[in-house]
Amino acid sequence: MSRKTKISLTEEELVHALRHREKMAAEALYDMYSASLYGVIVRIVIDTAVAEDVLQESFVKIWQSFASYSSEKGRLFTWMVNIARNLSIDKIRSKDFKNQTKNQELENNVTFIDEQRNTVYKPELLGIRDLVQKLKPEQKSILDLVYFKGYTHVEAADELGVPLGTIKTRLRMAIQQLRKSFN
Amino acid sequence: MESGILELYVLGDINPDDKHQVEAMALQHPAIKAELEAIEKSMELYAEIYAIEPSENLRKQVLNSLVTNLGDDRNFKPSHASAHQAKVIEMTQQKSVNFYKYAFAACLALLVLSVATLFAVYNKLKNTDSELVTMQLQTQKFSNKVNLMDHQLDIFRDPSFKIIKLDGTPKSPKAALAVAWSPAKQKVMIDLGRMKLPANDDQHSYQLWALVDGKPVDLGVFNAVDDSTGLIEMKSIARAQAFAVTLEARGGVASPTMANLVLVGKTE
Repeated sequence: MSRKTKISLTEEELVHALRHREKMAAEALYDMYSASLYGVIVRIVIDTAVAEDVLQESFVKIWQSFASYSSEKGRLFTWMVNIARNLSIDKIRSKDFKNQTKNQELENNVTFIDEQRNTVYKPELLGIRDLVQKLKPEQKSILDLVYFKGYTHVEAADELGVPLGTIKTRLRMAIQQLRKSFN
Repeated sequence: MESGILELYVLGDINPDDKHQVEAMALQHPAIKAELEAIEKSMELYAEIYAIEPSENLRKQVLNSLVTNLGDDRNFKPSHASAHQAKVIEMTQQKSVNFYKYAFAACLALLVLSVATLFAVYNKLKNTDSELVTMQLQTQKFSNKVNLMDHQLDIFRDPSFKIIKLDGTPKSPKAALAVAWSPAKQKVMIDLGRMKLPANDDQHSYQLWALVDGKPVDLGVFNAVDDSTGLIEMKSIARAQAFAVTLEARGGVASPTMANLVLVGKTE
């Protein structure tokens, strides 16, 4: 990889720089979050060319509507991933995309993609990755459907044939488990 | 807090009313704010675990579109880069649609032209065909005529033939007929081309007679028509002192009606 070291800032520094529309802020934003956002986008739209389009659209939208972000309402990444997820869902529901869709089993997508691609190697995440593997399958599948596939919990309940309350509980349990793993 | 609504808030899976409620609560209660932040951090890390590096050149592309954006913020159009790309695709599609449109029009024009040409050629062929038939008929007529004249010429060349001129009787002074007779071949021909006789009607026909030792012998009947040509062969006879023609009832009679004698000519 030819690129020099990635720019990394604290979230406060980054938000500040973004507010002042600094060029360096755009670079930092891309370096810090492009892989995470792309991971979500590609799991929704599957096609890498389409996913790159959506990633670009996402960054443009993030950059353009940055004034509407408020750190009081939550972390930057939460706001960004919602933009990327919504654009991805818009894309797969668009007429263009439906015409070219190859049918693939939704539930298999996450593992399918992970088998196909090299995910980012970060030594500090090694241990956590193992812990995530310990999530109960029924918890992980719901989390992935909502987080990576853009399902609402109502749609997830429908897809998995599980009552709405159970979905909410499993989601909460899954995230609790993650928090335990990450601490 | 236990209901899972904070998790749904972080996942973006929440209706606007609940969303505002959570935001208001978070502002009032630091504990809720802290809980939310913990959930957010977890999901952020989770996304990081499943992060995938996009292709190298995308970074430049994205940053360029952001920097272009930065230079001209007021004229910014949302998703500028993708709109540009979409436009390109649209134009190529337009192009190919246009191509097929023009190709179809060209095919149609060609078809019309071909049909018109075909029709013209067909008409010409038909004309040529009828001309050819006319010419063949003419050729046929000429060759018939040539054959006929050849035949006549043969008779006139034949030294055994004698040409006997029959002259009109006082009843029909202008009448005339030439009879070609070959005693050796016992052939009698009359030359309709040189015949001068009033046209007979449907109830009558002319009858040729030979006078042999004072007795009339029937040599057959013929009609006098205005445009008759050529030679006709009559019945044969070997000896005759004279030939004569009478006008008789149609089909001829056994013995001549002398009152209707129109032509007579001696052989010696």
